[in-house]
Amino acid sequence: MKKYVQTMQYMEEIITNSNNYTIVITGLGGQGLIRFLQIIGNSLIQKGYKVISSEKHGLSQRGGKVTCFLRFGEKITAPVPIIGSADMIIAAEKACIFDVLEFTKRDRSSKLIIADYEKESQNNDYPSEEYFIKVLNENSDHINFVPVMPIVAQYKNLKIINTIILGYILRFLPLSEEEIKKSINRYFKKDLIVLNQKALEEGIKLK
Amino acid sequence: MEDIKIVKGQVGEELFLLGNAAIVRGALESGINVYTYYPGTPSSEVGEIFTKIFKNVGINWVESSINEKVALEVAGAAYARGAKAMVGMKNVGLNVASDPFFALATTRPKNENSAIVVLVADDPQQYSSAVEMDSRYYLKLLKIPALEPSNPQECLEYTKCAFEISRELKIPVIIRLVTMVAHARSNVKLGKLVPPKLDKTFDLSPEVNVASRLYFLDLKQDQIYNRMNRALVKSENSSLNWIENENATNIFSLGIITSGVSYNYVIEALDFLDLKAPILKLGFINPLPEKKIVAFLKQFKQVFVVEENDAYIETEVLAIAHKNRVQTKILGKDPFSYSKEGSLLNFVGELNPTKVAFALIKITDLTPKINLKQNKEKKYETVRRRPVLCAGCPYATIGYALKKAIKKLKSDSGKEIYFYQDIGCYTLLSFAPYSFANVKYCMGSSIALAQGVARTDDSLNIAIIGDGTFFHSGIPALLNGIYNKTPILVMILDNGWIGMTGQQPHPGSDTHHYQDGNFKKKINLEKFLLGTGANISVIKRQERIKGNYPDRLRDLIYEKSYDVLEKRDLHIIVIEDECIQKFNQRNTLEVRYIDERLCNNCGLCYNQFNCPALNEKNDKAYINLNDCLGCGICEEICPNNAIYGGDNNEF
Ligand SMILES: Cc1ncc(C[n+]2csc(CCOP(=O)(O)OP(=O)(O)O)c2C)c(N)n1
Ligand code: SF4
Ligand code: SF4
Repeated sequence: MKKYVQTMQYMEEIITNSNNYTIVITGLGGQGLIRFLQIIGNSLIQKGYKVISSEKHGLSQRGGKVTCFLRFGEKITAPVPIIGSADMIIAAEKACIFDVLEFTKRDRSSKLIIADYEKESQNNDYPSEEYFIKVLNENSDHINFVPVMPIVAQYKNLKIINTIILGYILRFLPLSEEEIKKSINRYFKKDLIVLNQKALEEGIKLK
Repeated sequence: MEDIKIVKGQVGEELFLLGNAAIVRGALESGINVYTYYPGTPSSEVGEIFTKIFKNVGINWVESSINEKVALEVAGAAYARGAKAMVGMKNVGLNVASDPFFALATTRPKNENSAIVVLVADDPQQYSSAVEMDSRYYLKLLKIPALEPSNPQECLEYTKCAFEISRELKIPVIIRLVTMVAHARSNVKLGKLVPPKLDKTFDLSPEVNVASRLYFLDLKQDQIYNRMNRALVKSENSSLNWIENENATNIFSLGIITSGVSYNYVIEALDFLDLKAPILKLGFINPLPEKKIVAFLKQFKQVFVVEENDAYIETEVLAIAHKNRVQTKILGKDPFSYSKEGSLLNFVGELNPTKVAFALIKITDLTPKINLKQNKEKKYETVRRRPVLCAGCPYATIGYALKKAIKKLKSDSGKEIYFYQDIGCYTLLSFAPYSFANVKYCMGSSIALAQGVARTDDSLNIAIIGDGTFFHSGIPALLNGIYNKTPILVMILDNGWIGMTGQQPHPGSDTHHYQDGNFKKKINLEKFLLGTGANISVIKRQERIKGNYPDRLRDLIYEKSYDVLEKRDLHIIVIEDECIQKFNQRNTLEVRYIDERLCNNCGLCYNQFNCPALNEKNDKAYINLNDCLGCGICEEICPNNAIYGGDNNEF
């Protein structure tokens, strides 16, 4: 509960300073990013926030990259933010982060949330770990790696990555576990609800 | 879930809705009777939602029509009959529907209830389109009113306004969307549902009939000087054309005119620059409010027009300024110069707040608090991911077999071979490792394109067309080729659905498994084609007769191509193999595994066959079990029997 109150204060500060909080989410088609937006967005609306989200994708159904935006605050803003203005950037697939770094704030305060899921590339051009660390450090002082793969292995399901991330970022959002669980119940098919509730809890538990 | 809420949501309730979903709610709050559509990103969700809910809300009819022209005609006649009708399509769909639209725009039904709204969704940056096209110039050609919302809440409200304007004036009204509005989600406050109604009488007055030239010219007079004139009065007084920050001032004497999604980008860019400027936001984009625009222009030394793609509003504003002798400098894309230099915003590609901010910096010479240029220049090495066919897609097998057949044909016949692609998932066969594309236009073109070359050359010309596209607009071209005995090979890829846009049905789809299927009749493609008297061969993946399927397919293509070359006549091959996405909704297939003892890493499966679930790893073929959908083709093509699994599958 204490953590929750702190989050609320932090949120209020950000929102009153800049009128809205901007999250950029990137990943691959088929990962379920749109449901991720729906769950957060719906929970925020229940709380009285004004929310807008959007998606940019080509033929994402077929494994292409997807970039989404979710912004909330006291009023509805543009569906796409100006570059250099993201409060949080989430990569549901590790290397996708490179496509959205133009959204990081110049004062290095954007939170980067990166899942350790690596989808092999057809061109053998997956960036090295050193390059990865170097680039991220150039861009932010708040790098959060989320070890989703051990949890994925435990539950034998790759589709829960987003829900684990959701659990993880809950510590930064003005939403409680119960509020998010309500939305999970609403947006997942019946047989997937329990699995995703568990994945959420795993994410919350992560350090 | 969202779908139920769109119907069940209470007055005043706020939902997190997609722009397209808000359109549906707006139509339900207007008493819609009929919705017809043809799928196309980013407009398809509207039709999909209507299809799911229409039985529960008492709408008279919802259909996914065979093409946009038919969709417009079905809805147009319902409008003449007294219905509130709506038609949905993507930008290029409007080209297909444009012929009957001119007559429809002129007719004037007498029925009190009659109204028709046409939803057209543009796709700046062509995220999911073959061309980038701004549909707004049709407004001038058709001479009809149009509204453009800038967010999901406005989608709901503008849809209601559009129905009301159309009902009152008896003229079609266009709702123009762009991807970033259609596919944005946001708070949407619901209003009251209005139950649909329909009068018993069908008023067959001359005004619904433009068959006679005499009526037509009279009606056209009425359309322009009466109905559009009244629309103009509405536009001048409409709250959809409003001024934001009316009292704001800046040292540049700068005002801004914008509409649609660009309005949001303007707000964001102004905020970023701490610049205050009045904004004329145009929601009623045809006819434009001349007086309002003049009054706005007169307040400033310079006005910046911000809009996506074409300089539609800017050109109008330039003309209005000239006519009214307004001296204000009008900035924007400089539409008459055809030069990048004079242009502050690009004609090509999508806008965003960053581009608008850069343009404002150019106009004002302000120094922004953050150096955006440095962020803009951040370009990192990144993983390139080409769009690929789904794992297990029938087209991977077709590409594989076709490639083998072509290689042999080339060496045996010595002829050049050209390919004509159409629009659908199979368009991905245009790219490596297949590269089957020489000429491609738009939906339904492939069969005629092949004919044009076959008539000027003795090469082998192969048209590749999907079943959805064939029904949409391929049939006339095929009949043309059959009738003229044009020597081409037509491959109809019958995957049962309109795969690309989300597996919607077409007249050849077997929908009996699905909710709306019981009242549809599947057209048997084979019988339909037999009726033309053409030479046809049909190969079905599901019928596992002797020999493995990829090889049978290769041999068939080879043999029939030779027939085309030798007998100088058209030949059709129909390949029936269902879209795996749809197949998997009804069946669970088992994934395949590599037996590493048997795999000698010949690479046939991952190099030539190219299923995205197949790769090389540690000198063996490797199947990514998260991606494999269990189609089993790799098992059939592996020469070493190293791929196994799926013994319980039934095809
Ligand atoms: C005139 C027009 N309307 C709609 C679209 C959107 N669209 C793209 S591909 C496609 C149809 C694809 O169906 P099909 O030919 O069966 O191929 P599949 O995707 O199933 O492989 C549609 C409707 C379009 N490109 N042009
Ligand atoms: S069975 Fe083979 S070809 Fe089919 S999806 Fe799986 S790996 Fe790909
Ligand atoms: S949607 Fe269907 S037709 Fe399209 S790529 Fe996927 S499996 Fe193939």
